[in-house]
Amino acid sequence: MYISENSKVVVQGITGTQGMFHTKLMIEYGTNIVAGVTPGKGGQEVYGIPVFNEMKEVTIETGADTSIIFVPARFTLAAAMESLNAGINMTIIITENVPVFDMIKLVEKAKEKSLYLIGPNCPGVLIPDKIKLGIMPGNMCHYGDVAIISKSGTLSYEITKAIGDENIGVSAYVGIGGDPVRGTPMQEAVAYYSDDSKTKTIVLIGEIGSDEEEKTAEYIQEHVSKPVIAYIAGKSAPEGKRMGHAGAIISGDFGTAQGKIKALQKAGALIADTPWDVPKMIKEFH
Amino acid sequence: MFGQFEIPLAKHIVINSSNEIEEKARKFTYPAIIKSQIAIGGRKKAGLIKIAQTQEEAISLCRKFFNTVVAGFVVEAIIIEELVKIDQEYYCSIALDASGRQFYLIASKEGGIDIEEVSKERPEAIIKLNFSYSTGLTENIARAAATQLGLSGTSLQLGINIFLKLWEIAKKLEAQLVEINPLVMTPSGLIAVDGKMILDDDAAFRQPIVQNLQEKKLSELEKLAKEGGFSFVELSGDIGILANGAGLTMALLDVLSELSLQPANFLDVGGGASKERVYKALELIFKLKPKAVLVNIFGGITRCDIVAQAIIQALNNFSDAPPMVIRLTGTKEKEGIVLLQEAGIEAFQDIMEAVEKLDEVLRQ
Repeated sequence: MYISENSKVVVQGITGTQGMFHTKLMIEYGTNIVAGVTPGKGGQEVYGIPVFNEMKEVTIETGADTSIIFVPARFTLAAAMESLNAGINMTIIITENVPVFDMIKLVEKAKEKSLYLIGPNCPGVLIPDKIKLGIMPGNMCHYGDVAIISKSGTLSYEITKAIGDENIGVSAYVGIGGDPVRGTPMQEAVAYYSDDSKTKTIVLIGEIGSDEEEKTAEYIQEHVSKPVIAYIAGKSAPEGKRMGHAGAIISGDFGTAQGKIKALQKAGALIADTPWDVPKMIKEFH
Repeated sequence: MFGQFEIPLAKHIVINSSNEIEEKARKFTYPAIIKSQIAIGGRKKAGLIKIAQTQEEAISLCRKFFNTVVAGFVVEAIIIEELVKIDQEYYCSIALDASGRQFYLIASKEGGIDIEEVSKERPEAIIKLNFSYSTGLTENIARAAATQLGLSGTSLQLGINIFLKLWEIAKKLEAQLVEINPLVMTPSGLIAVDGKMILDDDAAFRQPIVQNLQEKKLSELEKLAKEGGFSFVELSGDIGILANGAGLTMALLDVLSELSLQPANFLDVGGGASKERVYKALELIFKLKPKAVLVNIFGGITRCDIVAQAIIQALNNFSDAPPMVIRLTGTKEKEGIVLLQEAGIEAFQDIMEAVEKLDEVLRQ
């Protein structure tokens, strides 16, 4: 999603435990991290990466175009707003528990400036063998032509690893996050990979809650000619209970797995009964 | 809550404890509605909203309600409210459209009933006007909705004001839904008779009202889970579940349900769980007295060897622990499986093998 191996990356919250740990893993993967930001810690270094006080300095000094955010939830609005105001093209919010209204404000700002947001509460984006911008395991798979778009983290690692284990390559893995309001909703991610010349097949990993799968189904019906394979978690989930993710809740008959499956099937997507069926279904199309 | 924001309400009094019943109930005229305030929904179904014809009846209902416990929740307060003459019932709300990243003002002439039913059966009976956060609900949008509802004259301005107040409440409290249902037309004007709100748990750090509600609505086990730092939902089956990742845990529950194996709970132990956290999660699951426990871990930042150590410790400390079936894959899976084998516990890398084993254990 709007990133490549040439992306110049800044880590916001680089001096925190999570920020530091994942900065190391991303550098080891080959991600071009050019700067870190932590207010009040400008001038320090983390793994040889210069730390700045604010995003404005970063864009001037380093030309960074992509940001990944690890700051605590209550500071995420300010951090992401700074990133958008500095004109960073893609801002990925890893942080969990970001208030919904903060996300609304950020989404509106991103739209106004024609910039992109992914997350929050997401594992980030991986272009195998090229760039890792997130907290997902780097060794799940190699580069190829299947795009994976997922609302969940661990479940998508399990599926992506199973795909990689079958020697199927992945053009991009995008974790859009498990919160109700997403910087990039599922239908926008699908639109991107529907147009992406390197992607032949799209895998969707959805779950109960929201109507993004239904909106995605409408989009697929009208615009997508590539094969779409979908797995939806939560078929047995009870009504009215939040299943781990803030966005994973059925209210009445809104947000049920059955409703999403029906809509996607109608749009021509293939439905995997279990996560472990996904690789063999992709193989049938290769 | 609506009263604080100057939304017109029916005449009412609030009784906060059983000591106040006599004194306050005597000041009201009857017949009146006696409404219990409790932290869970479905009050009407539970018989906690009743009409009292006389003062004596009101007092005895109040006494009864204060002694009522529903699913572990007690009645915290009682509202005595005048019976209003209803000319027309309306529905109105401000709702977040999360996937559309915008808001809706929703209104209907068919108030007092389930709005979701109406929207499915007669979508034309519902007025839905969208607006963005930064623009907010404008007077023009509010006027358009009120006009479409058929309000006119002084009622029109009252309706507009109420809609604008709803948006003010949504913004101030960061509510994803602020609903008045029904909003009723009485001879003396529009009043809100009942309402509800959906607030954001993640905004609790700056919204005291959310903090208060969070504490009230949790069950004993959910409180323990919250202290332990994991997501937990109690279900009705008899197989304890410990897994990591919300999506993966849901997928596991689906696989089991498909095979008619009924989970007793949803438990996502979270990423990078420590030995202590996994142990606490097992302790919580054992409290459910499951027939067996299935552990499913995909090790990313979670280490399988640490999970294995916690399992061994739990089995050593709980002599009455149910049989456990364990599936570990990912980071340090081999070390984890070896540790378990050395302790005489069978572990699997393949999920389907683990599920088959679970089935076998349950049939024994």
